[in-house]
Amino acid sequence: MLRLVIQRLLALIPLLFIVSVLTFSFTSLLPADPADLIVGEQGTPEQYAAVRERLGLNQPIVTRYLRWVDRAAHGDLGTSFFNSVKVTDALMQRLPITASLTAVSALIAIIVGLAAGILAALRPRSLIDRFATLGATFGQAVPNFWFGLLLAAIFAVGLRWFPATGFTPITQSPWDWLRSVTLPALALGLASSAAIARQVRSSMVGVLQQDYIRAARAQGLSRRRVVFKHALKNALVPVVAVLSFQITVLLGGALIVEQVFAINGLGTLAITAVRRQDIPMIQGLVLVMVGLVVIVQLATDLIYGYLNPKARPS
Amino acid sequence: MSVQSETPRRAASPAPRARRGSFYAVTVPSITVLLILVVLALGAGWINPYDPLKQDLIHALQGPSAQHWLGTDDLGRDVLSRLIVGCRIALIAAAEATSIAILLGVPLGLYIGYRGGWWDWVVMRIVEAVMSIPGIMVAIVIIAILGPGLHRAMVALGILFSTSFLRLARGVVLTEREEVYVRSARVVGASDGRILMRHIFPNIAPPLIVQTTLTVGAVLLAEAGLSFIGLGVQPPDASWGTMLNTAASYMELDWFLAIPPGIAIVLTVLSINLLGDTLRDTIGRGITVAVNPAVPVARFDASPEGNREIGSEPSPRRDDDVLRVEGLQVVVSTADGEVPVVTDLSFGVARGETLGLVGESGSGKTITSLAVLGLIGAAGRSTHGAITLNGTELRGVEQKRMEAIRGNEVAMVFQDPATSLNPAFTVGDQIAEVLRTKKGLSRQDAWARAVGLIDRVGIPRSAERAKAYPHELSGGMAQRIAIARALSCNPSLLIADEPTTALDVTVQQEILDLFRDLQEEFGMAILFVTHDLAVAADVCDRIAVMYAGQIVEIAPVDDLFARPLHPYTAGLLSASPHGAGRNPPLPTIRGSVPRPGAWLLGCRFSDRCAYKRPQCEMRVPLTRAARRMVRCARATELNLRAGK
Repeated sequence: MLRLVIQRLLALIPLLFIVSVLTFSFTSLLPADPADLIVGEQGTPEQYAAVRERLGLNQPIVTRYLRWVDRAAHGDLGTSFFNSVKVTDALMQRLPITASLTAVSALIAIIVGLAAGILAALRPRSLIDRFATLGATFGQAVPNFWFGLLLAAIFAVGLRWFPATGFTPITQSPWDWLRSVTLPALALGLASSAAIARQVRSSMVGVLQQDYIRAARAQGLSRRRVVFKHALKNALVPVVAVLSFQITVLLGGALIVEQVFAINGLGTLAITAVRRQDIPMIQGLVLVMVGLVVIVQLATDLIYGYLNPKARPS
Repeated sequence: MSVQSETPRRAASPAPRARRGSFYAVTVPSITVLLILVVLALGAGWINPYDPLKQDLIHALQGPSAQHWLGTDDLGRDVLSRLIVGCRIALIAAAEATSIAILLGVPLGLYIGYRGGWWDWVVMRIVEAVMSIPGIMVAIVIIAILGPGLHRAMVALGILFSTSFLRLARGVVLTEREEVYVRSARVVGASDGRILMRHIFPNIAPPLIVQTTLTVGAVLLAEAGLSFIGLGVQPPDASWGTMLNTAASYMELDWFLAIPPGIAIVLTVLSINLLGDTLRDTIGRGITVAVNPAVPVARFDASPEGNREIGSEPSPRRDDDVLRVEGLQVVVSTADGEVPVVTDLSFGVARGETLGLVGESGSGKTITSLAVLGLIGAAGRSTHGAITLNGTELRGVEQKRMEAIRGNEVAMVFQDPATSLNPAFTVGDQIAEVLRTKKGLSRQDAWARAVGLIDRVGIPRSAERAKAYPHELSGGMAQRIAIARALSCNPSLLIADEPTTALDVTVQQEILDLFRDLQEEFGMAILFVTHDLAVAADVCDRIAVMYAGQIVEIAPVDDLFARPLHPYTAGLLSASPHGAGRNPPLPTIRGSVPRPGAWLLGCRFSDRCAYKRPQCEMRVPLTRAARRMVRCARATELNLRAGK
């Protein structure tokens, strides 16, 4: 397993390199001159030159890139162009919010998706099977933020079971955290759960027809044991393969759903940064996103290796 | 914000007949919705009851009424009019972003796929990097460069979604590039551009159409999302996304504002997606509805009398019979109703005896062995007869009891060890699990016993091999493991279904020897299913020849080989003493084994038989002749030899 971890980590190096180059060069393409933005219309040419010097804008782009990477490696992503807020601080403040929202929605998607998928596979064409199919079809067509609005209208505004807006950190009050995260996580997770259920169902149906399932039954193992141990471990292999993609989708969805519930996460930060063309902030945001995706990929790779012995390096 | 990949989502496709019905049930409403959308978008100026931008603050936030069918928004603007203008925005958005995605992705994908090499590598790494970031974030970064607004946001989405077209085009080129006709065009000297246009592009068209519909759906959702967060369409212009943005702010005052734009998005995207699904299915397999070719099906009498009428003599009872099967009939359900696959089947296997069940595929051998285990599956069931194992009737025994019997009293070795061992667990674990659950052994004891068994079936370094996964073992070794698992609870009957067929010829003999050794040691009865008479001759004491779901002859091996009583047996013997392929048509017998459901009423072999007489058109019972039994109306008069 350790060898798998190392192998996966090494495979990440080119990805991180390309993403950092892309991020840096793309944001250098921004039409706005950051020095111009900072100095403003009242600034003198001397002030303008000083700001350019301070930001290192007069140096060649490769030097700027290397300096940026060097600082980023030390946890310094620069300072926002618009206030003296450190990018790292701003990101670290918002990261737990978006990360916990994504994590809870992923949990909902996986648990509901697994349960529904297995049941649908065991009883094809049953009510739950049709429901999962219908849910997957609609999940692909219903915008998650609209679903969030509906949930908020019913359960927050109407029934007042949950707060309509805001986010409580888990460290402050676990109960309030759960209440504040439930609706947005449902809005995000349910569509994915239907997609996962479809995946689980089709791979489970395939696995249940395999010889080794019949062989296990012929050996007198109980149906429950064969389904939940022998079949499930194999059926999850293709599911896990697409899980990191699903979670990436959830992460992107979280940026928008945050706006429905007025949650001050990375999404809000990103929208403000884009409107102000706050380059260091955008660079930092992309890196954090990639970091999250990389962690998810690593985790799913390891689960994949556990489930599928053939994928382990020997 | 994702485009589904181009893989079929349906695991089991519905029956062909149902498909045409659902084809129209899906396409007609979908196309209707999309047509309405286009009409509204084009005719927005004329159809609109009000100016979508005209404010009327006195009548703000009013619910549906006769004047305003869908009410008014926070500035008193007519919701219906804004919704209709939104159709136009949606259409523009979808057209812009999708065209950009195609125009950017397809040529680039074709080019790098065709050229390969360095360019291909670099572009693909960049595509991978972009795809590892959530799509909405990529769009946000591009919008940061271009600035917000509908058209700029659509350029951003176009760039984002071009990655899926790029991968699609590249994938098609990579497969087509090496096709013979492309290579020969190159040899003839056709230019690269010509080859791409003439030979490769036509192959991209079908998946391209499907990918386009999927992308349109995704673009519509993404546009709504971007406008919702204020980076797409800018107020006061109306799009479904900005309307939802307004609705979000006034949720507590007027929740109805969220309903019309939301339903518009869902209906549109749903129609596009369903159409895309249908297109994919249609392009994938063609919409022609397959009709089963008409076959002359013998009327089959499913009543108990139908079986008894045959009047087969019971197979002789022996005191040491472990398994007795009498008058067994198995049916499976098909589209045309239940079809018998095994009828009037009777045999016995005694302690220490090996009975070979020999026949070509489709003769019902495997279904017979599964019937003994009660594992025919949901599609089939046994309708008549008795299966007695160690004096216990197995037909109709309850599930729990049957689970206890399996493994303990009867176990099975399957044809292909590569598929009959679970790939996700170590082989030792799979044996130990049986011992733990069936015999209640502790973890350590079960593991120690498993290692012992692995050693017993002739695998060296058993303690180490027990920790291996099936794919790490050779076929022969994996089959030894399967045998060890089957024997772990010391069953009195072992069913082996073509246990050597999937193995190398050199390994086959070793496995056959192993069966003989183990039988000597454990004394179990073996039911050995095979299509290969030579293999059967090697390990079996007696052989039952099956044809079209019936036993046509049972005899001790020596008698059978010396003097077959049934013309089919004679044909088998002369066909291939050392079974060449899996199922070569028998050279000495014309025709092939009839499918279940297409059996003749009388002797099922009669249409291929050289000795056919009028009496062969009557049902033929299995009759006893000395130490053997045969199902042939002329058995006593014919004097057959192997090879006629």
